[in-house]
Order: sequence, then C-alpha cells, then structure tokens
Amino acid sequence: MSTPLLLYIASVLGAIALVLMMPRPGNRLAPLGALLGAATLGGCWLAVAFNTGLIHDFSANTLGLPATTFIYFYIFSAIAIAAAVRVITHRRPVYSALWFIMVVLAGAGMFLVLSADFMAFAMIIIYGGAILVTYMFVIMLASQPLEPGQEDQAPAYDRFGRDPLWACVAGFLLLAVLLTVSFDNPDRPTMLANPDAKMASDAEVLRDTLTGRGLDAENSDELASSPQFTADRVSNVERVGLDLFNKHPLAIELAGVILLVSLIGAVVIAKTHIPPGEQHPDPESAAAKAAQTQGGAA
Amino acid sequence: MNEMLTPLGLSHFLMTGSILFVLGLIGFVTRRNLIVMFLCTEMMFQGVALALVAFAKFHGNVTGQTFVIFVLTIAAAEAALALGLVVMLFRRRGTLDVEAWQTMSG
Amino acid sequence: MTGRNAYPTERRTDSLVTGLEPLQYIPWIAALGAVLCGLLCIRPNLKGWAGWVCVLAIAAGFGLTVNAVLPWATGKTHFNHVGDNHIVQAEVVTASPWIQVGGENVPGENGEIIGYKGGLQVDFGYYFDGLTLTMLLVVCGIGMLIAIYAVGYMRGDPGVARFFAAMALFIFAMTSLVMADNLVLLFLGWEGVGLCSYLLIGYYYGKTTAVDAAKKAFIVNRIGDLGFLVGIFLCYRVFGTLQFADIIPAVQNALDMVATQDLSRGSLDAANKLQSVLNPGNGTSPWLFYAIPFCLMVGAFGKSAQIPLFVWLPDAMAGPTPVSALVHAATMVTAGVYLIARCMPIFVLTHNDALRDGFLSPLYVVAAVGGVTALFAATIALTNNDLKGVFAYSTVSQLGYMFLGLGAISSTAAVFHLVTHAFFKALLFLTAGSVMHALAGTLDIRKMGGMGKHMPLTKWLMLAGCVALAGAPLTAGFFSKDEILAAAMIKGTGAHWGTGEGVFYFILAILGLVTAFLTAFYTFRLWCIVFRGETRYEMGDEHHSEDDSHDDHHAHEPHEMPFWPMNAPLVVLLVGALAVGFLLAPPKKLVGDDLPQVMHSVMHESSAYIPEKYIKTPADFEADDVETNIDTITTGYIVDVSDSHHETHADPHADDAHHGDHHAHPKVLGYDAHGFMMVISSIIALLGIAMAWVFYSGSRSIPTQLAAGFGALTQTLRDKYYIDELYDKAVVQPLNIVSQILFLVDQLVIHATVMGVGLLPGQVGKHQRKTQQGKLQGYGLGMLAGVAAIALLLLYLLNR
Repeated sequence: MSTPLLLYIASVLGAIALVLMMPRPGNRLAPLGALLGAATLGGCWLAVAFNTGLIHDFSANTLGLPATTFIYFYIFSAIAIAAAVRVITHRRPVYSALWFIMVVLAGAGMFLVLSADFMAFAMIIIYGGAILVTYMFVIMLASQPLEPGQEDQAPAYDRFGRDPLWACVAGFLLLAVLLTVSFDNPDRPTMLANPDAKMASDAEVLRDTLTGRGLDAENSDELASSPQFTADRVSNVERVGLDLFNKHPLAIELAGVILLVSLIGAVVIAKTHIPPGEQHPDPESAAAKAAQTQGGAA
Repeated sequence: MNEMLTPLGLSHFLMTGSILFVLGLIGFVTRRNLIVMFLCTEMMFQGVALALVAFAKFHGNVTGQTFVIFVLTIAAAEAALALGLVVMLFRRRGTLDVEAWQTMSG
Repeated sequence: MTGRNAYPTERRTDSLVTGLEPLQYIPWIAALGAVLCGLLCIRPNLKGWAGWVCVLAIAAGFGLTVNAVLPWATGKTHFNHVGDNHIVQAEVVTASPWIQVGGENVPGENGEIIGYKGGLQVDFGYYFDGLTLTMLLVVCGIGMLIAIYAVGYMRGDPGVARFFAAMALFIFAMTSLVMADNLVLLFLGWEGVGLCSYLLIGYYYGKTTAVDAAKKAFIVNRIGDLGFLVGIFLCYRVFGTLQFADIIPAVQNALDMVATQDLSRGSLDAANKLQSVLNPGNGTSPWLFYAIPFCLMVGAFGKSAQIPLFVWLPDAMAGPTPVSALVHAATMVTAGVYLIARCMPIFVLTHNDALRDGFLSPLYVVAAVGGVTALFAATIALTNNDLKGVFAYSTVSQLGYMFLGLGAISSTAAVFHLVTHAFFKALLFLTAGSVMHALAGTLDIRKMGGMGKHMPLTKWLMLAGCVALAGAPLTAGFFSKDEILAAAMIKGTGAHWGTGEGVFYFILAILGLVTAFLTAFYTFRLWCIVFRGETRYEMGDEHHSEDDSHDDHHAHEPHEMPFWPMNAPLVVLLVGALAVGFLLAPPKKLVGDDLPQVMHSVMHESSAYIPEKYIKTPADFEADDVETNIDTITTGYIVDVSDSHHETHADPHADDAHHGDHHAHPKVLGYDAHGFMMVISSIIALLGIAMAWVFYSGSRSIPTQLAAGFGALTQTLRDKYYIDELYDKAVVQPLNIVSQILFLVDQLVIHATVMGVGLLPGQVGKHQRKTQQGKLQGYGLGMLAGVAAIALLLLYLLNR
C-alpha cells in the first residue's frame, strides 16, 4: 500500500490557498490564493487522471464507464470545486447563492456521468429551482442592498470570517483522512463485471414480477448474462421508482411526515408575532453598531 | 490517449464529494452570515449526495440514488424552516450575524 | 422505679412518694410545646396561639409536679431513708437508655438487670428527691406564671412564636437539668438553658446591644462550662460512673465511714474503696478527687454569675423582660446553686479531706465568692440608673447570698432563698416590664418619677417585691435571707468564735448584713424614684403594636397593663413574695411548733442536706489523739451547729412536727441564733428602707450632695468598678492581638499555600475559559476538529 503522499501535499497546499482566499478586509492575497488553489487542483487532477501510479492503482475499483466520459467528470469536478470555493469565500450572500447553483449544476453533470439521470434533473429542479430561489428571496429580504463599488461597506459579518486558519487546518486534516480512505482501502469489495446490467436486470425482474409479466425469467443474474439484454431496457427513473416504492415504503411515509411538519413549522414561524419591544426598528443602524463592535473586537 | 488515462473509479467521485463536503464544513464554521452558513450545509449535502450516487453505481444498486431523494427531502425541509427562522431573527435584531445570538452563552 | 445504688441498703417501703413516674414526661411535654410553637411560625395568623401552647405545656408539667409533691410535702409520703445515717435514697426513673459503653449488667435476684457497673452508662434517667421536686415546682410554677404574663407582654410582636418556642425549649432544658440522674444529662440541660438564654437574650436580633449581650453571655458561660466539663471527666475518672444514684450514696457512705469509724482514714480511702467496687482496676490520685468540686464550682460560678464570671448577667437584660424574669432571675441563674447543692456530699467530703491535710476547702471558696459577690453587686446597684440593671445586679447579689449559704454548708438556706428569690425577683422584673411597657421602652429611672399616679396597681405590686427583696420583716426574703445569715453567723460564733474558720465566717456574715442594708437602700431608692416624687416621664421608642389604638403611643399617657394575663400572674407572685417565706419556714418564736417547717423537712429528704456530724471543722484535726476521741469530738460539735433544727435521728420523719423540742438552739452572743439574726436584719432592712425614703422620696438633694462629696467613689460605682473595661484590657484585647497574629499566620501560611495550590487550575481555567465563548461557530470548529481527530485515529487504528 502506497502512501498517497501527493494527496497530503495537495491537501496542505489547498488549505493554504483557501486561507488566502478567505474574506478579510483589504485582502490582497486572494488572487494569489486562487492561483495556488487552481494549480493545486490542476496538478492533483493530472496526477489522478494520468496513470502515473503516483497515487494509486485504480484498476481494482473502476466503474466500467466508457472512456469518453472521463473528460466530463474532470470538467464538472473542477467547476464544482471552484464554485464551492467561491460560495464560501464570496463576501456577498447573493453571489454565494449563485455560485452554489453552479455547484448544483456541476454536481448534476457528475450524476449524469454516473448515469443517474433522474437524480441529476431532480437535483437541478429541486435545488436550483426551488431551494435556491427561496434562499434568494430570503437574502433579498434580510440584506441591505449594497451600492456598486462599495463592497467594503458590506456588513462586518460578511467581510471577514471567523478563525479561517483553524477551520482550514481542521477541515483539510479531515479531508486528508477522507482521501486516504477513499483512495486506498484494501477491504473494498471488488467491482462487479457489469454493474449497470446487474442494476437494470434487478429492476426488470422486479418490474415484471410486479406487473405479472416475465415469468419466464427465473432470476436477474440469468437475465443479465443473456446476450439479448441491454441495460437500456429499463430507464433510470423506472429503477429508482421501483426501488423507492418497493424497498423503502416506510421511509417514504416518514419523508412525507417530515415535509408536512416542516410546512406547518414554516407557517407557524412566519405567523409568529414579534413583540414591538423586541422588533428592531432600524436594521441598518443595528448592523452598523454590530460592525463597530466587531471591528473593535477584531 | 485513453490508455494513458486512469480508468474512472469510485475514488474520483469520493474525492470530489469529500472536497465539497469539507469546503461546506469550513464555510459553515468560518462564515458568520446565517444565510451563507445554511448554504454551506446544503453544499455538504451535495458532497454526500455525490458519494451516494457513486456508491450506487459501484454496487450496481439504485438504493444510493434513492437515498439522495431523502437527502433532498431533508434539505428542502431544512431550508423552509431555517430560512423562516432567519427571517424572524433578522426582524428582531436587524442583523444576520450569528454572533448576535449568544444570549444563552455562559 | 429502680434503685440503682451499688450498695445494698435497707429500705423503708412504707408510704413512699408516689406519682414520680409521670414526672419523666415533663421535659418532653415542654419539648413538644417548643416544636409546636416552632411550627406555628409558619402561619402568621396562628402565631398568637404559640403563647398559649407554651403556657399549656408548662402548666402540664406544673400539674404533674404538684400531683407528686402535695402528699409528700404535707408529710404523708417520704423518700427512703437508709439505716440510721439519714442517707436519703432518691428515686430514679429511667425514661430511656442513651449511652452505654463497655461494662457489664448487674443481675438482680430474679435474673433481671437491676444495675450496671464498669464502663459508662448514661440514660435519660431522672433523679427525684426533695431538692429535685423543689426545683421542679419553682421552674414549672414560676415558669407558668411568667409565660402567662409573656402572652400579654409579647402580644403582637412579629417573632412571638419564636419567643415561645425558645421559652418552651428552655423549660425542657431546665427541667432536664434539675431532674437529671447523671452528670451528662445535667450537662445537656445545662447547655440547653445556655442555648435558650442565648436565643432569648438575642431575641431582638436587630439591636446590636442585644446581639452583643447574647454573645457575651454565651462566651462567658463557655468558660464556666469548661470547668464543669472537666469536673464531669474527673468524676468519671474517680468514681467510674456518672450516675448520681451511684455517686451520692457512695460519697455519703464515705462520709459516714470518716465520721463514725476512723478519722485518720480519710475520705479518699473511702472513695478508693468505692471505686474498687464501681470501677475496678483504676487507682485514683488524691488530687483528682480534690479537683472535682473546684471544677464544678467554676461551672456554677459561670452559670450563676458570680465573681469573676458575673459580667454577662447585667448585659443579658437586653432580652425581653419576661426572659429576664424567668431565665436571668428566677431559674437558669440558680442552676449553679442547684449544682452545688446536688453535689454537696462531694463538697463536704472534699472539705473534710482538705481540712485534714491542710488544703483550701472548696466550701470556703464558695462562701467567700458568694459573700464578696453579694456585697460587690449591691454596691454597683446603688448607683445604677437602669431599671432592669438595678434588678440584674440585685440578682447577682442575691445569688451571692445563696452561694454564701452553700459555703456555710446550709443548702437548705440556699435553696430556701432560691425559692423566695424566684418569687420576688420574678415579680420585680415583671412589674419593671409593666413600667417599661407603659413608657414604651424607657429604662432610665432618671427619666421617671411619680408613676404611681398612672399605674397604681403596678406601684403596689412592685412595692411588695421591693419589700421582699429588701428583707423587711415577715416577707419571703426576710426569712430566707435570715436563714443564710444565721448559718454563716453560727459558723462564725459560738464554739467557733476566734478560730480561723470562725473569723472567716463571721466576716462573711458581717458582709451579708452590710449587703442586706445596701439591698434595702437601693431597692427603695429605685422604687421611690420611679413611683414617688413629682410626675415626669419620657416615652421610649418601642411601640407595642398589640392595640391599634396605641398607634400614637407618644401622645398617650402611661397606663396600666390593658390585658388581664399580664396582671393576673403578678398578683399570684405578690402573694408568693409576701407569704412564701412564712409558709415554708414559719418562725417558731411567733407561731410555736404548730406549723410544719416545710422547707426544712423537704430539704432533709434530699442528698443536699448533710447531717452535722459529717461536717468537720479544723478543730477536729487539732486534737492530738484524734483516733481515740472520735466520739467526743464529733458529738461535741453536733449540739452546737447550724443549718438545721433536726439533728441526726434514727427516724427523721417521726419528729418533723415537733422538732426543736429536744435539742439546743445554736447561740450567737448568748441569744438564739435565728432570733438574733432576725432582729438584727430587721433593723438593718428597715434602716435601709427609711434612709432611701428620706433620700429619694421628696427632694433629692441629699444623695446629690453625697454623690458630689464622694465623687471618685460614685464614679467608680457608676462605672461598675470598671470590670468590663478591666476584662476588655485583660482578656479581650490580648485575645484580639493573638487572633490578629493568628490571622496573619493564616493569611501568610495557610491562605498562601491553599491559593498557591489553586493557582495552577485557576490559570488553566483562565485560558480554557476562552474556548467556552458561547458562540455557535466556536463549538462548530471544536466539533470539526474533534471529528478530524477521531477520523485520524480510526485511520491509524485500521491501518496498523
């Protein structure tokens, strides 16, 4: 087992880059951090992509994906990571939310690479469409608009983070551990010969059993190994749906209950009367006061 | 060229998922804007969801994808409640600073 | 009832005292009353009932006592007398076992356990003889009257339930004290009354003087209690037991041995023999035995406010007036007199020993301290201007009389004076309370005058008390004071005339006569100033809120007690103060032998009474051939001695009614001792009264001129001989210095060490505190770091 030394170096460099990019007043080193981060990510990706053996022998856990999809993975992955960095470093919440949409879109692309079509579109619709729009509304409701070119007038709590150094140290320590595990686990089961086909045949047998058809097929393994079978015979949506409603009925109900409860909760919160004494009359002066105290503390 | 490239494996997706998760975590800890903090938790969900889908692919099993649906459910519920709370808190204190809410501190 | 005498004795079994069993419940009824009063504190609207609960509890005890005492006091029943030695066998009632360490049980004839020897046994046992019953009557009787008065006096006071809880607790402790059949239980009661005294003196805890006085009383009593405690330890060391039922008969037997067998065999031999029975294997040193009475004496002096421990009693008047009457005049302060009377056999045994070996007799110390205290306190009372202060010093003075009586080995006279003093001093304090009540707290007699017009009843009541205290003829104080003075005078004259002991007692008797004159003078000085002369008064600032109509108290004139319970007990006390002396010891010269000498027959049924033949004088040991002439020597003095109208009779009960017929009365200067002293003290008392009347009744120019003439003396008296200042300089300030030094040591050594040890955690905590900033993200970061650390650890463990 080779020690993924390169990953550790990349983690350290990434941490440094992120610390540099973290928002703080008069931060002139942010571009430098961006460059360093990009270089780290690029180098890392090169080391992973080209079979240099520097990191790991990947032959044991390939996903059996066609070679043409590789490039999409690397592109989406880079976009997702870069957008994620912007989410946590941007000083203005609106832009953070927009960058988060980018993360969601890139993530959806990676779902497509993994041939999880339904999940990809569900992600875009629910996250990008519903949740992020809610966020944008709240940001608009709860933030004071900033004049262009006056970003430094943003509230203090947006202008500098809290203990970025220690957070990055701890976070990238955790990342290093996670990467070590994900790249180098001798106990991981070996890859199926054709996982797609297995998945599809599972679903087909199940569907045929449910619909009364396909009594001819004794089991999915037989079906999967038959030459006439192609994975496209059962769509991804169909597979997820069959799995969801056959294997997790209780979880479905619970999810419904959770959604109902949160709906009611949201209504209650929205209708909560704030006593006049506690209602802040002038959010801007309060924000300024908070900024002053924070500045004094800093 | 294809021979030079490493075959795409589970590790690649786990790596990306881990990076998203950790970045979300760091963002949650460092950013002081309540809304951005919640955005960062959503980003942590993204990393987890990516790992789940990758596992599903690897094991030839759609249960991982099914779980992403539940993750989405929780994310939606959380967004609804948390954002409602954020609006209410903002109306009370006029600020989104998380450190304005430490009356329970010792 | 179990007689627990270690010595086999013959017992008279006819007409024994009955009704003693129920007496064991008296303290516990009072304790129950105390608890009930305490519980009544909870509801403000129930507080008013606390007084009646307390009265009821004490009255129950009084009823039980009367039930037992009446047939006995009238001569129908008797305590056992053992043999022909006039040794009283007291009855012991054991309520419940308490402490039992080591030792073994003594089986009776039928195998039942009748006693216990070796080891230590202390029970809630009660010891009944004439002395105990007398004390019980005084405590419960006077206590009940004062409690009834207090119901009126304390009415409307916010802490009334607390007051009565402490009163009932006091009765519990005081009855335990006088009934105790062992020194430990006696000490429990002793400390209990001390505690109640502290609580009641400090009842007005908002007033600094009251709080200081309470602390002073408690601390001064601690000194005495230390002596008492050491005395108890010594008793156990010497006798191997603390039960009076074991100690007293044994000591009486030892006295008997000394008196009847062989003078050269000292009482210590007897004590040693006694110990070999009770406490085998432990020899004892003569000095241990000799020290016992001195230690007990220190305790008695502390509790009974004798020189040098008297300073607390005048200050104790800061408590409510009923407390002054009950605790600090009638009962608690007489506990010292009771203790010495109870232990009188030990004192006499030591006295005999000391005379033989040429040591100082403890009884001489008691007599000297008593006599000097009596005179000393009386002189201070001469110039005191505080209404209650005069009575307080008067109490000290009268207690000095009692100790003089004890020192003259006449516990009968001492206890007699204790009883009469309880009546008239309670009456005086309660009437003083009425005056104080009427004047809303004013105590300075210079601000009073002519009060008789406003308070006629109180005027006459207090006059009766004053007459009794002054010892005017035929009042209670007259008879009892005369008993004491006669006892001292008898020991100083007659056959004793001119001997060392005789001179000593003669001087003390003269001191007592001078004190009697001063007493009469200061008593009537007070009464004349308050009730005669031109009317003038200043209202104090203590409002009695029991009547709404008294809201504008300042505008009102002084008035009599509006509430009947405050006057009714005073009338009873009035009768007692005037008549109780005559009733208990009617003078034979006047009434002949028709009336029983109740006081004497009662006291003769107790161990406090020591027959004269057991008491040695120095002359006994001066004879050359002591060993051969015992009978001559002892009988030679028996005839001519004091204390009693009884001599040693084979059956002392038989002649209760016609005693005095067949034995010679002691003579003083050729006259009958009692008759002589009565005449002398009557003259002296009347002289004192007349002088005070002349001085203070009309214009008061004479005393002013006199005071001016003796400026320095007057000032010394006014300042109470500077005793408090002396104590401050001699005791308090050195203590302060020592405690300052100790404080420095504490600061520099102990405090520094402890704080040095505490420095490390303190500093660590100071830095650690920053991590607990109460901010969400700080904790989030902590969690993140923790998760990372755990993941790292897992990775390390999995790959190992």
